[in-house]
Formats: sequence, C-alpha cells, structure tokens
Amino acid sequence: MLDGCRVIDLTTERGLLCGQLLGDLGADVIKIEPPGGSPVRAQGPFFAGASAADRSICWWAYNRNKRGITLNLETDEGRGLLRRLAARADFLLESDNPGELARRGLGYGDLAADNPALVYVSITPFGQDGPKATYADSDLIIMAAGGVLILYGDEDRAPIRMSVPQAYLHACCDAAGAALIAYYGRLDSGLGQHLDVAAQESVGLAAQSTPLAAVIGGDDTRRMAGGAKMGPIRVPLVWAARDGLVSSVVLFGPALGVFTRKLVNFIHAAGFCDDATRDKDWIAYGNLLLTGVEPLTAYDRVKEQIANFFAHHTKAELFAIAREHNLLIAPLATIGEVLDNPQFAAREYWRHVEHPELPRALTYPGPFAQMSATPIGYRRRPPRVGEHNREVYLGELGLSEGEITALARKGII
Amino acid sequence: MARKLPLADVKVLDFMWVLAGPGITRSMADYGATIVRIESAGRIDPVRTVGPFKGNNPGLEYSGLYANNNAGKLALSLDLSKPGAREVVFDLVRWADVVCEAFSPKAMRAWGFDYESLRAIKPDLVMLSTCLMGQTGPLARFAGFGNLAAALCGFYNLVGWPDRTPSGPYSAYTDYIAPRFGLVALMAALIHRKRTGQGQYIDQAQAESAMQFLTIPILDCAANGTVYSPVANYDPSHAPHGVYPAAGDDRWIAIACATDAHWQALCAVMKRPDLAADKRYATFAARDARRLELDAAVAQWTMQFDPHASERALQAAGVPAHTVQESADLAADPQLAHRDHFVKVTQSVAGATAVENSRYKMSGTPARVDRAGPALGEDNHHVLHDLLGYSDDRISELVAAEALG
Repeated sequence: MLDGCRVIDLTTERGLLCGQLLGDLGADVIKIEPPGGSPVRAQGPFFAGASAADRSICWWAYNRNKRGITLNLETDEGRGLLRRLAARADFLLESDNPGELARRGLGYGDLAADNPALVYVSITPFGQDGPKATYADSDLIIMAAGGVLILYGDEDRAPIRMSVPQAYLHACCDAAGAALIAYYGRLDSGLGQHLDVAAQESVGLAAQSTPLAAVIGGDDTRRMAGGAKMGPIRVPLVWAARDGLVSSVVLFGPALGVFTRKLVNFIHAAGFCDDATRDKDWIAYGNLLLTGVEPLTAYDRVKEQIANFFAHHTKAELFAIAREHNLLIAPLATIGEVLDNPQFAAREYWRHVEHPELPRALTYPGPFAQMSATPIGYRRRPPRVGEHNREVYLGELGLSEGEITALARKGII
Repeated sequence: MARKLPLADVKVLDFMWVLAGPGITRSMADYGATIVRIESAGRIDPVRTVGPFKGNNPGLEYSGLYANNNAGKLALSLDLSKPGAREVVFDLVRWADVVCEAFSPKAMRAWGFDYESLRAIKPDLVMLSTCLMGQTGPLARFAGFGNLAAALCGFYNLVGWPDRTPSGPYSAYTDYIAPRFGLVALMAALIHRKRTGQGQYIDQAQAESAMQFLTIPILDCAANGTVYSPVANYDPSHAPHGVYPAAGDDRWIAIACATDAHWQALCAVMKRPDLAADKRYATFAARDARRLELDAAVAQWTMQFDPHASERALQAAGVPAHTVQESADLAADPQLAHRDHFVKVTQSVAGATAVENSRYKMSGTPARVDRAGPALGEDNHHVLHDLLGYSDDRISELVAAEALG
C-alpha cells in the first residue's frame, strides 16, 4: 500500500505508534535515535525482568516494521544528514515540544523549502501554539485536560486513569490518519503540509461527546464505578456474576430498549424477575425516568432483579446465554484470558515474532485490520540500536566507509 | 489560494451506525469526502437516543452525540424492505468509491450487499466492514456495543482501585479507538487504489484494533507471565502522581512529578521549603517509597484553591498539572478556544448548536466543519436528484412505495 514511501521517524516516547502504523502498511520507516539509543529502551517492563539494553518491552511495543539508525541532531553535521534524509522522504514524524525542532533548523518551514511534498507530522500535548502550548504534560495530565479523567473511577474517590498509559496512543492514531489523508491529497496536488496533532483534543474522542454538554446546554456526565451517571440516571455497565464480573448494557429508547426487552424477557422466563419488570415500556423508559413518571427507585428495583439474575450465573454461563439469545453480556477478561480467547486464535490474530537476541519468539497483538489485497505483514522486528546505520548511510545516502567511521568517532552516529 | 480539500473527490456510501463506524466517515467528511449515510426510520441510529442533548431535550434530532459523530454527512433514509430501495443502493454503489458498514456480519449478506456481490457491479470498490470481533471466527456473530469488546479485550480490568472491583473505562472504550484505525486502513486502501486501480475488502474487528493499545501488557504477559491489575493513579516513574482534591464540589487537579526539578518546583509553589529540604523526599526512589505521605501533603495544599488557579501556578513553575476538566471547563478552555475546538453549526431540527472540530490541524487544507449530523432523510432529494441523477418522477415513485422511510 505505502510501498516506496519513506518515513523519517523522529518521535520521542509520545509518538512511536504513528510510524509503526505506516510501517505496518508497507512504508519504509526509518526510526532515528540519538547515539546510544532511544531513552525508551531504558524503560520497563523488560523481558525476563532484566533491565538490560535490547530487553525493553516498552521499545518493542511500538517499533516493529521500522529500520533503526542513530544520528546526533545536536550537531551541525547530524542536522545536515537529517536534512538530506528529509529531502527524499514522504513523511516526517516528530513529537518534540513545539518549536524544539525549528530551533535546530529542522522545523516544517526549513525542511519544506527543500521538499515541498513533505508531509510533516507534529504530535504534541496541546498543539503547536496557543496559551497552553508550553504546558508540561504526562499521560495523566492529558487525560485530565481532555475531559476523559472526570468520567473514570468511583464517585466517592478521586477520578482515576487507565493503569496502562493511553493518551498518546490516541494521538498517534489520529496522526497516522491525518498523515494518510494529507498524502492522498498530495497524490493530486504534489504538495505536502504541516499537520498539528494535539493529544488533548485526540483523547477527547474517548469522552463520547460529553465535552459538548455545557456548550449545547445538555446534562453533564459524571463518573460512577462500573457505569455512568447520565443526568440523574445511574446506568451500570459492570455486574457481578457468580464467579466474577461481566459487562452488560441495560438501556432504553427506540434502539437500545429493544435489547433490554430481550434481556428481561429472558430473565423473566428464567424466574428472576416479576411481570412488572418484564412489562415496562423499555422504549419510553428513559423519558419516563427523566420526567418523573417512573420514579428512580422503580428503576433501582429493576436493576436489583437483573443483578440477582447475574449473581446466580457464572461468567461462562452468561456469555453462552448472550451468544445464543443475542443479549449484550460479556465477561471482563484479564490480559491472560485475552491471550487464550479462541476467537483471536481462530482468526490467527497473534503474531509470533522472532527476536534473534531472545531465546524464543515474542507474541504480539496482530494486524489492526485484515486487508484482502494488501495484508498487513510483520516484516521487521523492532530494530536494535543503529542496526541499519550502514544500510542507510552507506547504501542509500552514499557515504563512504571513511565518512561513516569519522561520523562514529565524532559521536554523530 | 485555498487548496482543494484532500478527499474532495472521494465518495462514500455509509451503512454505519452507533459510534465506532461513523467516527471513520466523520473524519473523512472533515477533509472533503462526500458521505451518503443510509438510515431507516424503522431502525434508527441508537446514538440518537444518547446525550448530551441540545437544550436537554431528549428528542431524536437533538442528540449532540449523533450531531457530532455525523457532522458533514448527507442523510438518505431508505427502507430496504420496500420496492425500489435495493436498486437505489446499487446505484449508490456505482456512484461510490467506498462502501462502509457496521452491521453484524450476516446482515449485509442477507441483503445481497456483501463485498463479492457489490464488487461484481463495482470492480475497484473499497469496502470496509467493522464489527466487534471480526467477520470470521466463533465470535463473529457476537454483536453489541463497545463496552462488550472493551470487556473481552481486558480494558475493564485495567481501571480501578486495588481494594475494589474494577470500575472500568467510560462507556464503550473500543468505540473511541477503532474509528481511528478504521480510518488508517481505509485511507491506505484508497491510496493503494489510486496508485494501482485495485480495490479491496477490509475486515476490521474493533477488538483487534483496540488491542494495539494494550501491546505492553500483552507482551509482558506473553513474555513474562505478568497479568496486570488496576493500580488507580499509581505510576512507576512519577511521584507524586495523582488526582488531588480542589476547592469546590467534585473539583480535582492532576499533578505528575517526573523529576527532582518538578518536585522542587511543586514544593516552592506550595510554599513548603521544609518538604523541599527534607532528605526523605530528595530522590525519586525516596519519594516512590513515601507516596502516601506526599499525597497527603499535596492534597492539604490543593484543597484550598480553585483547580485552575493551582494549575496556572504549577505550570508557570514547570510542574505538569492540569484541572480535571468537566464540560464547563472545556467550554471555557483558552487552548481549545485557540484551536476553534467547538464549532457553531445548525442542526436542522434542534437549531443552533455546536460540534467538535477535527482533532488535528492541517496547514494547507484546514478541515471544513460547517454542518451538524443530518436529520433523518434530510438530504433525500439532493442525493437522489443531484448525485444519482434521478428524475422527479422516479423519486415520486420511491416516495409512493414508502422506500424513503
């Protein structure tokens, strides 16, 4: 798909997934690291717990399908080599704070002067300019700023984030989508451009349009353990089964109420709720609650009966019932259970990637989509430090052996 | 002179609904694609019943969620059980470059709208199917909302307090990840088609896309047998790190100190030279071991002030900090205002309202966001008459057959 496209990946920890996506789609992605390697390589978790170089799971996670070279951008010579690489590239990806690369003569304007077709993608916390552009950030800070954090956690305690950082992954996916939209336009216009991705705005999608509430005069949404408070209505999404937890939706209205009707019909037949619950008007039920025609305590009573049904069945029983009767119930899997889910095995989702430095292959999440004509391949494991220096500098930039030796001696590569 | 929008020539027939699918075509509409969205009065899009609602009116044409997720699209209402409706679909397939659908796997086949059938009339078609678990495998027919895929992927067991059952992510988490991957796959297929003339079929399992966001715990589990459980706001490389109470009802501020400099700056802003000088907190390792003490000291300071004031003071000193924003904060956020994040548009029934802008800026081809999600059937005449070239008589026949319902 993107065969023949060249991507220069200057991203820090924030932006690694973006280049991996372009690499998955066939682009030639060159990951540029400072001499000695990216600081991400020093971040855990590590394979077999050993905090040694070339054992960082954090590095492996988002650098497959890339080649790796080292280059010191703090030197004039290093920046000159980067400009030569960028002059022939289709995409350049970076995630430094705004203005950092421009300060080094590597901003969009600098590189587009030589290569007006370049699609230059910047991923930052809050965008390239504006009153918060220089704000210090982290995963937690972005989730707070984007309107997501307020929706997470138990209502009697502080809001909490997901225990695995997510903010920049959202931004990276947006960056890849934007890059491809811009590239598609370039196929006609021949012109590149500068794409400015702000993580604060990217993560906002995960707030499901609740950020609009104040602007359009709607009810705000607040966190609630295992569900959400929609105005005065408390909607549970997590329920206790006999041996663990399941997720299920018990909602109302012309589209969602249909599922609730099916669920209570089943529960009624199984003897866990009374006629009154079965016969509620699930289509109109939300409006009945909001207008007070149906008291919220009556909804609580319905939820108690449904909860009792869940509590009397195992997760596996409930999932089997859901599949047979098209009900909206699924068990809350642990990561270990995810790896054992027969669905993913049947689709040959997991990819076992050989690492010559490891005693065995590593199991990676598979392609993000199955594409019939141009399947996503895991062509390259994540590169080791400077693994492709010779290939790129010697073979593709045309440097001599002597020049490479000299660059290495000066600490440039 | 303004450049043509990058997707100005791209035409999409959109059978998607709810959240994960329509998010893909929303982004394409922002950058110029023509999206014809099929909906039927007998089977409306469920997000029309989900808030926030314009003016808190829970009517089907007042959902801000629907308006936002479908901004810039055209609406054609079609009852596929009525005579003539299927022919309209086939004409739209001939018109389109892309067909997208988000039904459960058997539905499109039952209508004769599966990829093989549609490719027969449009050989270079790009078609995307997106559903929870994919078109194949034992769970292919397991349909539902993104909360179920999030549960099956393991996301629920990653949000919570260690001493309680997991609270889980908000609502339908995979629905906020999958559209971004769907867009990437679709754009790659369109680029391939433009270069080679070859179309293709994309099978997106929303769960499989979303697990890209769990690569680290999956690798750690597969390699080391480590099974992650929720740790609330603990972070192994930041201390203090947490969400602290602020003055006001349910007001909070997030603070994340990665370095000694952050810690020293935090102490300075809190006017706590005693803490700054205390050897028990001098290094990251020391602070890591005494998180609870630090959290108490920080909370004692934050709870006295409005979170925005603390945020400004901390950021001025270089400390990563931000108010935990609710929708009123977002509406007043100067950074979002600077980026025109909320765009005033008109929703045809609900009237003046707002949607969110594109989540990124393009220097050469800024997004066009000037229309809220359309009312049911709002663009029937435009689509049939202007895009498909139907005569008024033919349109009247479709109306008489109740096909446009």
